[in-house]
Amino acid sequence: MSPADEQAHGTASTPGARGGPPRRTSRQWPLALWLWVLWIVLWGSVSPVVLVGGAVVALLVVVLFPLPSIARRARLHPLWLLLLPAHLLVGLVGSAVAVALEAVRRGPRVRAAVLEVPLRSESDLMIAATANMASLTPGTLVLEIDRDRRRLYVHALPARDAREVDRRRGEVATAERWVVRTIGPAEMRKDPNRRERGYGGEGERR
Amino acid sequence: MNGLVQTALEAATAVLLLCGAVFCLLGGVGLVRFPDTVTRLQAAAKAQNLGLLLILIGAALRVPLPYAGLLLLIAVFQLITVPVLGQIVGRIAYRTGAVERHTLTVDELAERLAPPDAPDAGESGGGRGRGT
Repeated sequence: MSPADEQAHGTASTPGARGGPPRRTSRQWPLALWLWVLWIVLWGSVSPVVLVGGAVVALLVVVLFPLPSIARRARLHPLWLLLLPAHLLVGLVGSAVAVALEAVRRGPRVRAAVLEVPLRSESDLMIAATANMASLTPGTLVLEIDRDRRRLYVHALPARDAREVDRRRGEVATAERWVVRTIGPAEMRKDPNRRERGYGGEGERR
Repeated sequence: MNGLVQTALEAATAVLLLCGAVFCLLGGVGLVRFPDTVTRLQAAAKAQNLGLLLILIGAALRVPLPYAGLLLLIAVFQLITVPVLGQIVGRIAYRTGAVERHTLTVDELAERLAPPDAPDAGESGGGRGRGT
């Protein structure tokens, strides 16, 4: 076991600390690449100084401040990643139109609901991504994330009757399905009912 | 040819900016007309958010490339941060009672937060009393 692993196990036992040991530097190249692109976009030029300076800064940040491995089991699926922006756009427009209609037609008489939605995901990354997706796309806003019981509590906006409530629930499930498709581990992608397992082993505390 | 592309870009920008402005307006209507913090948050997180995105994209089509990248970066960070903000504000609003309970048809979080021996912690169905 490397010193880095031991250190991480030491912190994992303290309450609140989650995530595994820090990633090895060689596994952090996507983060370095992202930082580099960010640097270039912020400078707004591709002169050699910016390119080299950005690469140096990105590498330094990655080496000096290693992040815990949140994405140990995540696998990126490029095809779905390419489709994701289109899905996001459709969802954004759809939910914005729905909320706007509700604001104009009903206003103070709007009917909403707070729903409990069980998740299949277990890892921090997947739950965070699902919560983010659910807040962006359908007419739902995540109010509360119950990390240990894997539940999202969402505020669903047009929810006048049981049928609409069920539809909003389905929309959160759809958001999670997209997250699983894009970054989920293989066994979850194959089986639509499979829950994510064996992540960190702190599942059902409290 | 170049002129045609230019005209098409201008038209696209005009449409995007106008649509963005309309969604921002509708988000404002939501802020005024919705009854409580969380529903207002929805108006800001959905309609207003889309309005801002459309305006950013529309502007990005017309400015030099380096600035366009910057605008798209703003859009990306907007998409990442708005749900986080919504969740934090929504959570606090819910827990401090800034939610009009009578607007909710179902409230499953209240059942969860209620102490286990509370009388109204049973099955959902009708949820909280129907106000108005």
